[in-house]
Amino acid sequence: MAQIELKSLSKAFKTGKVLDGLDLSVEEGEIVCIFGPSGAGKTVLLRLIAGVEEPDAGAIFLEGRDATDAAPERRGIGIAFQNFALFPHMSAFDNIASALTAHGATVATIKAKVDKVAAMLKISHVLNHEPRALSNGQKQRTALARALAADPKIVLLDDPLRNVDAKLRYEMRLELPSLLRASDATVLYVTQDYKEAMAIGDRIAVLIDGRFEQVATPASIYRAPVSVGVARLFGDPTINLIPVNPQAGGDGLSCEISGAKVGLGAAQVEGAGRSMLLGLRPESLVVNDDAGLGGFPVDVVAVTPLNEKSVLLMRTRDGQEIFASEAGVENEERKPGPAFARFDPARALMFDEASGACIGSRP
Amino acid sequence: MTSIAAPVRRRKILLLPYLLSLPALLVCIGILIPFVTAVYYSMLRYRLNLPYLKGFIWFGNYKEFLTDSEFWNTVRVSLEYTALTVGSELLLGLVIALLLQKQSRFNNMASILLLLPLMTAPALASLMWKLMTNPNFGVLSYLVQLMGVHNFQWASSPNSALFTVVLVDVWVYTPFIMILLLAGLRSLPTQPFEAAALDGVPRRFVFFRITLPMLTPYIITAALFRLLDAIQQFDIIYPMTQGGPGDTLLVFQVRAYLEFYQYTNVGKSAALLMILWAITYALSNVFIKQWLKLRERARGLA
Amino acid sequence: MEHSSRAERVLRGVLITAILVFFLFPILWIFLMSFQTNEEVLRIPPSLFFKPTLINYASLITGKLQTAAGSLDLAFMLNLWNSVLLSTLSVALSLLLGVPAAYAFARFKFRGSEDIAFTLLSFRFAPPLLVLLPLSLYFQDIGLNDTYVGLIWVYQLIALPLILWIVRGYFEDISPDIEYAYRIAGHSWLQTFLRIAVPLARPGIAAAGLLAFIFCWNNFVFALILASADKQPVTVGALAFVTASGIQYGQIAAAIVLSITPTLALALYAQRYLVEGLSLGAVKG
Repeated sequence: MAQIELKSLSKAFKTGKVLDGLDLSVEEGEIVCIFGPSGAGKTVLLRLIAGVEEPDAGAIFLEGRDATDAAPERRGIGIAFQNFALFPHMSAFDNIASALTAHGATVATIKAKVDKVAAMLKISHVLNHEPRALSNGQKQRTALARALAADPKIVLLDDPLRNVDAKLRYEMRLELPSLLRASDATVLYVTQDYKEAMAIGDRIAVLIDGRFEQVATPASIYRAPVSVGVARLFGDPTINLIPVNPQAGGDGLSCEISGAKVGLGAAQVEGAGRSMLLGLRPESLVVNDDAGLGGFPVDVVAVTPLNEKSVLLMRTRDGQEIFASEAGVENEERKPGPAFARFDPARALMFDEASGACIGSRP
Repeated sequence: MTSIAAPVRRRKILLLPYLLSLPALLVCIGILIPFVTAVYYSMLRYRLNLPYLKGFIWFGNYKEFLTDSEFWNTVRVSLEYTALTVGSELLLGLVIALLLQKQSRFNNMASILLLLPLMTAPALASLMWKLMTNPNFGVLSYLVQLMGVHNFQWASSPNSALFTVVLVDVWVYTPFIMILLLAGLRSLPTQPFEAAALDGVPRRFVFFRITLPMLTPYIITAALFRLLDAIQQFDIIYPMTQGGPGDTLLVFQVRAYLEFYQYTNVGKSAALLMILWAITYALSNVFIKQWLKLRERARGLA
Repeated sequence: MEHSSRAERVLRGVLITAILVFFLFPILWIFLMSFQTNEEVLRIPPSLFFKPTLINYASLITGKLQTAAGSLDLAFMLNLWNSVLLSTLSVALSLLLGVPAAYAFARFKFRGSEDIAFTLLSFRFAPPLLVLLPLSLYFQDIGLNDTYVGLIWVYQLIALPLILWIVRGYFEDISPDIEYAYRIAGHSWLQTFLRIAVPLARPGIAAAGLLAFIFCWNNFVFALILASADKQPVTVGALAFVTASGIQYGQIAAAIVLSITPTLALALYAQRYLVEGLSLGAVKG
């Protein structure tokens, strides 16, 4: 049975429609990341599920019951807000305990549960402090502890790592999935960071302009985005999109890039004779001096070493800028100048230029 | 995929704010009923001592005012009082605020002490000044005499009565202007002043071209606040002189009060107050707009 | 202003001193006068040096005032008690009514909310007699004239707009998410209001309450019209001193001192909030 089920959920404000007919089904214990650009309606969606906003149309089922019009305190949800929303006049302990006191737990149970969740989140030593005496990281953990303390069946996390520094965000990104899984809760996790979504979510629901563009596992979203819009949101540097006009030939589809004829493989025949966007992930581009089969000429404009990889900014003969990233730093002698780029057609993506939809099926 | 509505809960949520504000609403109605009654009274020939004359006369009371020299005297005195008090309080308040602008222990202490007159009930302040200006033993009467002015009658003489009550009003309410302008001055951004100081801009220029324009919203708000109060003056004039000597200080509310209780002319009293209400209503509309703007800004800063 | 000349500093000092003397001298003088016998008050020239006496306060407390014509009963202590009673109860009622309403205005944008808030505000600036004179006739009809209940009800006109507009601002400054977090944790609307919203707005509620108390205490015209001698607060009661013939001036001064001390003390105590309260939240102190 699905723990969270949204049925054609819609919400509009005076400024316009924010959410437009959302359907989603989240299984027990699953972690689903709601990911999308800012302003896509992610936070509004969480607020609808939490019950602090009312939907205009559609229904919300929680643990199998219709909760569309239930008061927020009756939904049995744990929530952590992006701005933490800690109670400034209560100690961290009382903040975390607030979900337990509401349900009439005894003092001893409250203490035991708070201590347990605090230990798990490593904030046992600051439980007596008021929020203003906590560091940002401690605030964030307190907010998380408060959301988890009462062992809610459903946990909503609204971009909980947004307001913490980079180091902490990195640590928490590693730590959170196991923490959340340990709690057995069904989790909706809102984020604007694709890496966070991919690291934490069992599935990712990509929310663009109030609609779910795609709901799938991180790997399949990365490998097979349904549209240009989704493809653009994942990856750093972002996916290269090269306008092409593929033609069918003897050895399958081919197109012209930077003045060279480039084969697109046998599988893709649908896009023939139309304006298409060829989507190439930077890491699927191979750059060297070999003008051999499938290579197209580029000018390497700049080389930027970035952690374990190097990012190459290149320009085609048509003046388009494209990125390539090379694993490792062994290519230290890589210098700007003319070169050739090629790619494995099996890893290329084809999008219809007009509709943005991905063409051709992917495994 | 049907949308399920649970109308019961939704209605409850909608009712709550009305329930919460109901008491405030009732008080509003409690004001509006006598207000409507006052509008009605103002169109009656209605004297408590001559009840048989009671009758509806439309705008008769208002029309009489047009040729009533007593009425025009009231208008003149009220306007004079308002102009004199608000004018001098603005000027004095601004000077004090500028003198105390710099944050220092002494200045903060002084600004707090200066609030004391404002916290004194105006009716009691007027008694205090009455004691100080008593012709037999008043300390101010004595001081004035020392300065060579003999026979200065303060509130008892038509020549100086207005001056005396304006003085009390200035004593009570200048701190109000001062404290608002001081808060305004201290909330101004410092960069323009630092830039001007670096460039060696003359201080007179800084004051008229930077300080004053930036302070204007505060000045306008403070002035409108006082304007609204001063045109309705009662608390100082009535305990001090009951509107006398003669008709020297018969401002709107004092005259309306006397019409009602002394001459029991309910209709005329109500009409007089309606005219005052029209003036304050127009002023308060301007004021509330200005006040809201400043309130938004203050909350933006916080 | 950093490089002020010596002459300028002297001028500033002189000006500020003159201003302080003008605004504080009356209070000081009345205070001194309240400790003087009639002979000392009437002495010419007036002097700052005298032997202080408590006789004026004593006669006020006993209610027996010495006049040229003999002894006069004047229950000033009753006036003082009325002031305490009227101001305290009015503010208490006003907080009870006004704080939930302020919350409603801050949190729910419901139909008519701004209209109600603005009606209250605009009547704060309307001539009080306009409402009071017809009201006094109504009060006589329904038996509220010269009662504490009637007075406290009318005093809401002073206290309620103040509390509503100041406290509303404080509620608006609380992040709604904080309240939502508490509700989602399983608490009802009322629990959230009492345990989150009210405690967080407490400085504003305290400030508004103190100011409302001062304004109720200082009010003159409401009680002048609606109360007779035994319900009058000090502001109206003190007038009787002036009309009573042959009264001793030291006693008037003592009565004034007793009447203004509570508000001055409160003002000094609450001075941090005065700016915001006096401007109905338009200026932050």
